[in-house]
Amino acid sequence: MGRFIARRIWQGLIVIVGVTIVVFVVTRLVGDPVRLMLPLEATVEERAAFAHALGLDRPILTQFGDFVAGAVKLDFGESLWQDRPAFQIIAETMPRTLLLVAASMIIAVVVSIPLGMLAALRPGSWLDRSMVAGSLLGLSVPQFWLGLMLILLFGVTLQWLPTSGIGDWKNLVLPAITLALPALGRLAMMVRSSMIDELNKQYVETSRAKGMPYWRTVTIHAFRNASNPVVTLTGWEIIRAIAGYSVVVETVFAWPGIGFMAIQAIKQQDLILLQAIVFVVATVVVLINLLMDFAYKAIDPRIQLG
Amino acid sequence: MRRSLLTFTALVLLLAACSGSSTDTTAGPTDTSGEAPATTAAPDDTSAPETTAAPAVDGAEITIAIGSEPSTLDPHTRDDGGERAINDNIYETLLARDAEGNLQPLLAADLPTQVDDTTWDVTIRDGISFTNGNALDAAAVAGSFNRLIGLGDESEQSGFFGTIASVEAVDAMTVRFTTSGPDPVLPSRLYWLKVIDPSTADADGFDENPVGTGPYTFVAWNRGSDVVLEANADYWGGAPSVSKVTFRFIEEGGTRLSGLLGGDFDMITNLSPEDAAAVPKAVSVTGLEHPIFILSAIDGPTADVNVRKAMNMAIDKQALADALFGGRATVDQCQILGSNLFGFNPALEAYPYDPDTARQMVIDAGAEGATISVVGESGRWLKDRELIEAVANYWSEIGLVPDVQIYEFGEYLNRLFDRETRASAIFVSSSNDLLDPTRQLGNYYSSDGIGSSNTNEDLRQLVADGAVTTDVAAREGIYHQATQIACDEAYFAFLLNIEDSYGLSERLDYTPRLDGRLLVKDMTVTG
Repeated sequence: MGRFIARRIWQGLIVIVGVTIVVFVVTRLVGDPVRLMLPLEATVEERAAFAHALGLDRPILTQFGDFVAGAVKLDFGESLWQDRPAFQIIAETMPRTLLLVAASMIIAVVVSIPLGMLAALRPGSWLDRSMVAGSLLGLSVPQFWLGLMLILLFGVTLQWLPTSGIGDWKNLVLPAITLALPALGRLAMMVRSSMIDELNKQYVETSRAKGMPYWRTVTIHAFRNASNPVVTLTGWEIIRAIAGYSVVVETVFAWPGIGFMAIQAIKQQDLILLQAIVFVVATVVVLINLLMDFAYKAIDPRIQLG
Repeated sequence: MRRSLLTFTALVLLLAACSGSSTDTTAGPTDTSGEAPATTAAPDDTSAPETTAAPAVDGAEITIAIGSEPSTLDPHTRDDGGERAINDNIYETLLARDAEGNLQPLLAADLPTQVDDTTWDVTIRDGISFTNGNALDAAAVAGSFNRLIGLGDESEQSGFFGTIASVEAVDAMTVRFTTSGPDPVLPSRLYWLKVIDPSTADADGFDENPVGTGPYTFVAWNRGSDVVLEANADYWGGAPSVSKVTFRFIEEGGTRLSGLLGGDFDMITNLSPEDAAAVPKAVSVTGLEHPIFILSAIDGPTADVNVRKAMNMAIDKQALADALFGGRATVDQCQILGSNLFGFNPALEAYPYDPDTARQMVIDAGAEGATISVVGESGRWLKDRELIEAVANYWSEIGLVPDVQIYEFGEYLNRLFDRETRASAIFVSSSNDLLDPTRQLGNYYSSDGIGSSNTNEDLRQLVADGAVTTDVAAREGIYHQATQIACDEAYFAFLLNIEDSYGLSERLDYTPRLDGRLLVKDMTVTG
């Protein structure tokens, strides 16, 4: 167990360092923040002086060394765009993204599990077929479009909910649903198929023959056995939501989270903020993966870690 | 199987119904406002829309959605549209622009008086104080400018104040500006550079707690979401009508539009031309953006002036204005200056749209089938990619072979600023923040500019002279000569002057400004 954790942490560190190096190099190869920050009409001298003031005229290895030395102390430097510590910006925006992702994952899990189980009870029934069709629809609808449609329906036409921004729970509803839907579709399909597999196994027949109520067999025994792939997929969905889908959803709903901030950092060519975001998001992803490993063990004690 | 298909179809129909209802709401603005369809402005209305008889109500609270969050609220360090949208209501400048773009005194009592080539005196208006109670006097103004000068190249605005060598108070209400050389642009600079209370500048959090002399005072900045301002009841120009304004930061155009339609916002900026018919009221004004193609007079097929002229004549500029911008753009008169800018040459006319003659000119020049490298970007400016592709298409119709290369913005800038190899045609949107031609012509007309593609020594000299000639009439004459040369030589494919468009809610009235400033004190709310 201890060796297992040590190895996973070591692997995680390699991932984080690798991602950081790639981002560090790529951003400096393709972009020049000075050109973006200064007005188009700025002269060559103005640009050179500004680059010097930002320290961007130093050798790339020096810059990387400074970044690594700071990153271990959670000091990622000052955002070029906002003139304040990049960590402060991340500390403001990350909780908003985590809130959004948590809300959407709760929706996805709470809805998809009963749906998938019900569908699995009678494969081929109308309930099963409409569940499959609905899931396919949910996971294939582009979130950008879905978000705008929800805004138009509930924000503009019905005016039940605000169209964008943060504030109280009302602001959370539409972005959370938008973020949840594709995950919900995939999870429901996964629950359905692993439940169908499980319900066809002999122990289900046996427990039934022994007089155990069928609902108990399904919800306690079969589902517990079927839940491992579901946990895997949920972890994967959380990671994709934080590190990917949040970019789209947060942009559509003007939800100032980490995904939205990543887009801003790219647009503003704010290398400092961008590499800090990538570093933190990579760390979060590694941590979630680690948590998932423990979750398997908790659900299925037969699994040996290590 | 048939049953699941049925379910699927039902779901698709349901979603189609949602999207159907959305088209309805965008098509009929009055449906969403839920009010009588009395005040819908015509899409072509460029002035303030017709208002209903309802009188303006004071004390209203409004919300304005702007496209980006300010990077800071320090008015001296950044060149940032989000910062300006907010600080234009908190801070003021010595001079302002009127509706025609002419300079007028604001914090100054009068226009600057020129003492000699490099010295200007400005008298400060009496009886103004900052909202923290400190009086605005010559010492405060000098302190504000000296802070700016001290920032030097650390400020993104150094190009706007770089010629100002020193600023001092000569008496209680008179400030003396000394420039490093003759600088006719100084009055325009005073329209740009905001006056702060120098005693607040060193305090911690100055960039988050702006204190100015303006009609609004700062209340709160909720990072990522909004900035809230409230009316300055003691404003020297009279208390404004709108008592509280919230600036929301909404990057995505569709989301801004939805917010306006859903009643969350009273105003949205950067209204897309195709959305103008959807909003309760759309207003627009002559803007400062002039998209152009810089044609290389240095080498390649465009080195021949007749090819460059033909490329101008190939483009149906009015059709572009109508098709791409819904008529919210005017054809440039063979120069990158709008008709209300200093230096505008009224004698010039746009090249006529004449593809037949243009094709013949290309043949005569032996350039038929020649490859024209066209460098552009996408997404930075309104309709940039559409414009580039439409123009490239016009060029292919006169026998040229455009090779359109769309780059990521950083890479695009590398090519725009590359002095060694110039593409045949480089797309750029030229803007003019100071409403003065010096910088714009220096960059694109002058052969030593960062984005020029010619080697014309006479033109370079004219632009250089214009930058240091303080006699207004002489300076105007110089610019007329310079614009004449660039037009005759067709150093650019001149296109359009794009209008700035805004979407307003039914209840808000505002006439947008030529200088693009978003002044809440000029906004009123009815009903």
